[in-house]
Amino acid sequence: MKRSNWLASRFEIINAILIAVVALTTAFAVWRTNVVGSIASDESRDGLIAAIKKQALDSENYRKVYEEAGFAYQFAVKQAEVEALEAGNNPVQQAQAANIRQYLLPNMQLLGQPLATDEKYQNTDGTYDLQKRLADMEAAEQEQIDPSASFKRADSFFSQQRWLVMGSIFLAISLFWLALAEVGSERLRGWQFTLGLVTFLVGVLWFVAVELIFIYMRRGGS
Amino acid sequence: MNETVAAPIKAQENSERYKTLIVALTVFTTVLAAVLAALQADASIRADIANRESQYLAVLASGELTRAGLESNYEFIVFGDYLKNLQEATILELTALEQETNGEEEAAQSTRELARISQASADAGESFSVFFTDPRYAPQSENDIPQADQYITDIFEKSNEIVAQQNAQADAYNAWDRKADLYITALTVLAVAFFLFGLAQALKDARLRLMFAFLGVVVIGISLLIATTTLII
Repeated sequence: MKRSNWLASRFEIINAILIAVVALTTAFAVWRTNVVGSIASDESRDGLIAAIKKQALDSENYRKVYEEAGFAYQFAVKQAEVEALEAGNNPVQQAQAANIRQYLLPNMQLLGQPLATDEKYQNTDGTYDLQKRLADMEAAEQEQIDPSASFKRADSFFSQQRWLVMGSIFLAISLFWLALAEVGSERLRGWQFTLGLVTFLVGVLWFVAVELIFIYMRRGGS
Repeated sequence: MNETVAAPIKAQENSERYKTLIVALTVFTTVLAAVLAALQADASIRADIANRESQYLAVLASGELTRAGLESNYEFIVFGDYLKNLQEATILELTALEQETNGEEEAAQSTRELARISQASADAGESFSVFFTDPRYAPQSENDIPQADQYITDIFEKSNEIVAQQNAQADAYNAWDRKADLYITALTVLAVAFFLFGLAQALKDARLRLMFAFLGVVVIGISLLIATTTLII
């Protein structure tokens, strides 16, 4: 009874302190939510920069492959021309073929390398395997840029931000009930205070749970 | 004596009337603002993701267009070179026939040799051209020409698909961004309600307090209407 009186006489002070704690927790939750949102935006930005870099490298690879393919094609056609000259009976043409084979073809082959020089890029019908050359160029790149990794992390942070915002609603509702307990009738203030306190605890637990779950998920939990 | 005591009490009661209601309405507005802020944050996050996806797809579309341009350029150069060699071979063959008709046997033999060389170059080029090696574009019969239109359609198909996806993401961004803006509008309207409730709390006249509270409720109604409409669209 004595204890009950002590609590009743100091209810407004205890409730006011709790309101202050809830308000501070809400401010912290909002700050953390914004930090998470900022990290998500940074990851998105990193992903876009990586995508542009990767695209620039891919475009350069394609340009180089088709440049090499053009030289290798010219070499193949000139080689066919020389073979046709050699096959003829005309001694002038045969001499011409010999000179082309000795002086021109090696230079054209050098221009068309590695397609025209490396057997692994040559198909059985005499054409070239451009896809294999492209795959080798991509594999040889020192830096393997992967924008999807940044996008995946950004999505994870965006999702965390969303769940944290949901948690802030619990804290706001807690403020609502605690404020009602402060100004409400004595008959109901006990229930209102309990409801406010429970909602606050749910909000805090929600916040901690969201943080822990997303840390676990980002470490490869799922 | 009694009358002098009762009057200030009555005046004090009058100045305190509806204050609890105002506090309750203010706190309700706070919760509503929290919910609207959450909805606004969600719409904003979705807009951010759609915006990023549209930008990423624009980069991919640009790269794919570059790739398709380089590939088609190579293929048409090979095809053009093949046509040139083939026409040279045909013209030289016709010239040789003409020379034979004129009785210039030696010249005809020499021209025929040149025609054979051009034909050899054309044959080599043919094996490199997608217009002869790929059944989708190769001529259906000897007198047909390659399906260059089909090739153009196919080679830009992927970039067109990416552009369509990019457009869809850009539309999604606009839609979510509009929603986020509307939630901001609802929140701004709600700020007016806060002002009205604050004013009502400060007033001493109970009737005026009730009037401001009523106006605040009307403003909350407008905010709720905007928020609900935004949620539905």
